[in-house]
Amino acid sequence: MAETGLSEKRTCSDQGLGHYLPGDVPDANKWADCVHCGLCLEACPTYLETGHEHQSPRGRVHLIKSVAEGKVEMDEAFMDPVFTCLDCRACETACPANVQVGGLIEEARGQVRRAVPVTGWRKQMSRLFLEGLFPHPERVNKLGQLLRFLKSSGLSSFARKSGLMKLLPQHLNLLEQVTPEPGEPLRKKYQEVIPAQGVTRARVAVLTGCVMDAVFGEVNEATVRVLTRNGYEVHIPQGQTCCGALHVHAGEREAGRKLARRNMEAFAEADHVLVNAAGCGCAMQEYPELFKEEPEMREQAEAFAAKVTDVSRFLHHRGFEKPKGEIRARVTYHDACHLAHGQGVREEPRRLLQSIPGVEWVEMPEADRCCGSAGIYNITQPKMAQAVLESKMEYVPEDVELISMGNPGCMLQMAAGVLQHGRNARVVHTMELLDRSYREGDKKEV
Amino acid sequence: MFRKKERHSDPLIRKLMKLVGKEHVLHRQADLVAYECDGFTLQRGKARAVVFPGETKEVSAVVRLLHRERVPFIARGAGTGLSGGATPLGGEVIISLVRMKKLLRVDLDNRTAVVQPGFVNLKLTQAISKDGYYYAPDPSSQYACTIGGNVAENAGGAHCLKYGVTTNHILGAEVVLPDGEVIRLGEDGIPDQPGYDLLGLITGSEGTLGVVTEITVRILKAPEGKQTILAYFDDVEDGSRAVSDIISAGIVPAALEMMDRTAIEGVEAANFPVGHPLDIEALLLIEVDGIEAGFQSEAEDIVDVCRKWNVREVKVAKDEQEAAAWWANRKTGFGAMGAISPDYLVQDGVIPRSRLPEVLNKIRAISQETGLRIANIFHAGDGNLHPLILFDAQKPGEKEKALQAGSRCLKACADAGGSITGEHGVGIEKKEEMRFIFTDEEIEAQTRIRSVFNPDNLLNPDKLFPQPGRCAEVKQEIKEQQGLKV
Ligand SMILES: Cc1cc2nc3c(=O)[nH]c(=O)nc-3n(C[C@H](O)[C@H](O)[C@H](O)COP(=O)(O)OP(=O)(O)OC[C@H]3O[C@@H](n4cnc5c(N)ncnc54)[C@H](O)[C@@H]3O)c2cc1C
Ligand code: SF4
Ligand code: SF4
Repeated sequence: MAETGLSEKRTCSDQGLGHYLPGDVPDANKWADCVHCGLCLEACPTYLETGHEHQSPRGRVHLIKSVAEGKVEMDEAFMDPVFTCLDCRACETACPANVQVGGLIEEARGQVRRAVPVTGWRKQMSRLFLEGLFPHPERVNKLGQLLRFLKSSGLSSFARKSGLMKLLPQHLNLLEQVTPEPGEPLRKKYQEVIPAQGVTRARVAVLTGCVMDAVFGEVNEATVRVLTRNGYEVHIPQGQTCCGALHVHAGEREAGRKLARRNMEAFAEADHVLVNAAGCGCAMQEYPELFKEEPEMREQAEAFAAKVTDVSRFLHHRGFEKPKGEIRARVTYHDACHLAHGQGVREEPRRLLQSIPGVEWVEMPEADRCCGSAGIYNITQPKMAQAVLESKMEYVPEDVELISMGNPGCMLQMAAGVLQHGRNARVVHTMELLDRSYREGDKKEV
Repeated sequence: MFRKKERHSDPLIRKLMKLVGKEHVLHRQADLVAYECDGFTLQRGKARAVVFPGETKEVSAVVRLLHRERVPFIARGAGTGLSGGATPLGGEVIISLVRMKKLLRVDLDNRTAVVQPGFVNLKLTQAISKDGYYYAPDPSSQYACTIGGNVAENAGGAHCLKYGVTTNHILGAEVVLPDGEVIRLGEDGIPDQPGYDLLGLITGSEGTLGVVTEITVRILKAPEGKQTILAYFDDVEDGSRAVSDIISAGIVPAALEMMDRTAIEGVEAANFPVGHPLDIEALLLIEVDGIEAGFQSEAEDIVDVCRKWNVREVKVAKDEQEAAAWWANRKTGFGAMGAISPDYLVQDGVIPRSRLPEVLNKIRAISQETGLRIANIFHAGDGNLHPLILFDAQKPGEKEKALQAGSRCLKACADAGGSITGEHGVGIEKKEEMRFIFTDEEIEAQTRIRSVFNPDNLLNPDKLFPQPGRCAEVKQEIKEQQGLKV
């Protein structure tokens, strides 16, 4: 499928490893659970698009196992399905045997990246995004500005030709809709501690995230307002960094580990680490997977992962102040994969949204089907991402005005879909709507 | 490294690409490894290529080519089959029908629907339920399996007790014969036709007579209502007796399913647990449907029967959600075995209902003798047992032991006056066990029927019947060589 720039292949066939390299080998226990029943097939967006067994969860697990058995090499034909996976985890929801397909895929990617380093434009891409951008908040913060500049300078057509920004130009358009003002990064705007309104119920720490903070600064602001209003003292540890999800998805597991260590340190004092980006929350809950071979770190990572919660779940479980301001709109909700499939968060955001007066609820069929955003997948696999988005858009009810969700990647992708299809709906984050209702309610009282 | 050149080195693959388009032919090692087996994993083989035709014309063209070149080939749906029907033995071209996945027509007045073979079973009910209709055959694999595969296997399901298996719901089909000719069987909407029931012959033929490319099915009006009952027993025999009594009381439940202790352990450890107690020996999951007054009183009668047989607890689902959860737990039961065992082999015997306790005892003995755990999930209403033999293929010798245990379970069913397959088919898995129920002559008669459609045995070769080398054909040859008249 995708053309790949490969350099010299280096594999070893140590005893028991098949064609894998020693260290951080895909976990045999994970694939042993798979009984090859195929009940996951129809849940998988890439299987639905291609009909190809190797582009299905069952096929992928089978191939990962076959490399360990020495039947398949870590060559292009293996890399293709492993990297075409959206890491959406829909298969994990469908699988009766609890096979951790996502974890296996990430481990396999780590192997491939070590065995077959990327070259060509893909390398430049991954350098740009994974090394140059995401670990550096100040640079990501400039992303929004950069995109605007690209557009106004006419450079976006150049970007498109170079193949790497296939989707970005659309995202540029929608950025202007979603964030009228270039969002101001939270870490600059607020101090490290933001006091609760009224009596303090508890102290919570918030991950600001890279994309969220740069592109959707408003969502972060809304999140902080919602939390403080509900009696939480919000901490924004300055030492925090990118969660590493994109690195782990790309197979850059060592880079992911580095970021994980920094975050675990930055949030050491916190009892609750709240996240408003599904992908980040899921990745942080899975830090223990990165330290399989370091028992001590693994233990720390487990303790840390236990503190990480999606903000909608946290609010819903601990009780939240009922919003009073009316939002008269037909609202639907898109389940971000890393909330629904990754963290089992489905009902909580719906309950929050449904509590807003005036909201006319429209349930989206197949709400938990992937939109194709999947981190930087829409940039590395533009064709598949677009096909998956097209399928997703078929399910978005025609006449809704607001599509709410809990992940910045999905927000960009869905906004691109809305734009392409000439829909009138606006894409929003659950926290934005809740915040708006609170504020509308306050206005009325005044 | 890169084998870009090698891609086209096989002229057959080039020709296939020409017929269906380059992107619809798979041939790389890793791609083919993904197709080395279906849901039955104990035997695997490597196909020469996988080809994805988009319409009947392409199927026919591909088949013609393969017929001309004398290359064996296999039809494949979702590959959820449990007897190796879609598994290559080596060198076949797999014709995957998953691109042909459209719902072509729904005719509510005549209660029929026309689908392409790759259309997924559950999608049909999903598409017509808003109008109050459904498609009755509901194999537990219905989330993924195709209607083409259902026709080939004559698939059954939990609700086939009352409504019948696939063959009772097929009204017509378009079939590509093994030489590429396209024929139509059955008249849309007309259930019975004079002459031989060729449609019935194709249904359940396990992909050995032709490639089904379009299917007309019967759809049913959804029942007015239904009720789901769950009963827990401390003794398997009590549960079995309750099953017999329910049926002999004249009640025809829509579904009547049973799981034993080990099976319950599996489903509760897996992804869709519902909180069944782990210390019961058997549970019954029963659904009654129809008009309100009818199924209410049936439900009451069923509860009474369960009480008579010392049920520990019996309850009626309080709402649809609860019933759906119970069903999801049951329907994912095979896959759930992955949570308690690295591998499993599912068997598929049929027995007269009244022999249930006796056969279960035999299966228990087989489990004890082989040291392998056996879970039992079954369509108890129609006596279709699914012993699930749990094993670890990594342990030397266990796979063989499991196969043996499976074969012995089937023997127990055959000895009790039953059969070796209720719905999963023979495939490669149960070829030898065909001898438990058929004589050599009977098998030979069937291979002759196959020869009428598939004279060169190019379509799905060496499936369904025991190797000719060991059956009647050979005996006949020997006799002929010896100058004996047959
Ligand atoms: C978890 C699980 C539960 C199951 N539960 C049930 C159950 O309750 N009842 C039941 O009956 N079965 C059950 N099965 C078995 C299986 O799902 C059925 O046999 C199903 O009908 C196979 O459909 P498929 O599309 O996967 O076909 P495949 O596995 O791809 O093929 C099966 C056979 O059909 C042939 N075939 C496929 N398509 C065509 C076609 N278009 N034309 C001609 N031949 C074709 C193939 O050559 C092969 O021989 C279960 C399987 C699993 C894994
Ligand atoms: S994670 Fe998503 S894309 Fe990947 S195998 Fe599972 S369902 Fe398919
Ligand atoms: S991943 Fe799960 S659902 Fe898919 S084939 Fe394996 S066991 Fe079945």
